[in-house]
Amino acid sequence: MTKTYVEAQTIEEAVRAVSRTGGTIFAGGTDLMPRWSRNLVPKPTAVVDIKGVEQLRSIKLANGDVSVGACVLMSELEAHPIIRAAAPILAEAAARVACPQIRNRATVGGNLCNASPAADAAIPLILLDAVLEIAACRPNGIATREIPIAGFFRGPGSTALQPGEVLTCIRFKPLPTESFCAWDKFGTRPAMEIAVASVGVVLHRVDGRVVEARVAYGSVAPIPLRGHQAESALIGQLLSEEVVDQCVTAARKEISPITDIRATEGYRREIIGVLLRRMLENAAGF
Amino acid sequence: MRQVSDTIDVAFTVNDETVHLSVSPDTSLVDALREDLELTGTKQGCGEGECGACSVLLNGKVVNSCLVLAAECAGAEVLTIEGLGRLGKLHPLQEAFVQNGAVQCGFCTPGMVMAAYALLKENPSPSEADVRRALEGNLCRCTGYRKIIDAVLAAANGGSRHD
Repeated sequence: MTKTYVEAQTIEEAVRAVSRTGGTIFAGGTDLMPRWSRNLVPKPTAVVDIKGVEQLRSIKLANGDVSVGACVLMSELEAHPIIRAAAPILAEAAARVACPQIRNRATVGGNLCNASPAADAAIPLILLDAVLEIAACRPNGIATREIPIAGFFRGPGSTALQPGEVLTCIRFKPLPTESFCAWDKFGTRPAMEIAVASVGVVLHRVDGRVVEARVAYGSVAPIPLRGHQAESALIGQLLSEEVVDQCVTAARKEISPITDIRATEGYRREIIGVLLRRMLENAAGF
Repeated sequence: MRQVSDTIDVAFTVNDETVHLSVSPDTSLVDALREDLELTGTKQGCGEGECGACSVLLNGKVVNSCLVLAAECAGAEVLTIEGLGRLGKLHPLQEAFVQNGAVQCGFCTPGMVMAAYALLKENPSPSEADVRRALEGNLCRCTGYRKIIDAVLAAANGGSRHD
């Protein structure tokens, strides 16, 4: 049973409270509350609510970097002019999370720290090469560190966060306006759907030739996955039908989907190829 | 920083009235509304954010009250179905639900009305697609949704919306 509720006002208060109480960090609560009510995890003895920390609520563009506080809501990401301009795939993914009630509560930091392979915000943030800022309480004060998102996810529900650490901010460079970017998820209904599979692509081309490619997948591996093999199939190439085929084949090989209540392994492999092919054909203008 | 143990005294406004409650740290807002304040218009359906029956407005935004801790509502403004209208003096949105036959068993209705109210507050002239998207988090097992969507569009077109 939860005995203690702490409402932090600053990052320092938040990390100190987490260390002192051994409590669970609470932001939007959209993942924690259902797990507690279903008894999937025991209720923590203490809850440390970090939503009141002003610094965690802001979206800023400074010195060429976009900074998104960990407690920024999905509904804020969806509508914010900085996100819509600098990372339209992130705005779109946020807009496709669950429903208005959830988007008004769920935070981007919670989406990452929950570490679901299906996390909608994770795929765009992998494509954006985001850097995660983390704070923790140490005997001599507050320590901060940064890790690239590529090293953050360790498995379903598992991240590189150490006990007592708090994700505070997500930072990335705006996508160049001339880049092609796309993100899509597939589910059996448009709303309230955990992705059966999702894919995102960012392409930078010079004279039609791909000079930089990023591909990432959701719900088809133990973690939100960067598609290095699919990227290799694109780099240096003109987007011909043959190159698209090679990329799709590479994608289907490098994912490791499972069969669960939402879809079978084979179906997920199929749908990843369909989504990716659509995006590449759209980029190529076939 | 506020740290409280065992029971928490919280004060917030519900439907423009200040309420003072003693709740445990893990009490959900829907339980506080229904059990402590006896505002049973807000329904508890799934208890895990899937059905939308417990929708209320928290500081002007529609949320599932089953996913909100009462403890975090200190100083907040909560609007429930009881705050919209009452028997004999329905809110135009409620009137539109009645006129359009948008209510069958009625269990989802308070949540539907609150989600629709949140939409019309932000967007007084929604398209049908806007209405469908605004209600995407609210399940109804009776109506097939058509009449609910008609009701919300009728309320918007009636121009009788008020805050």
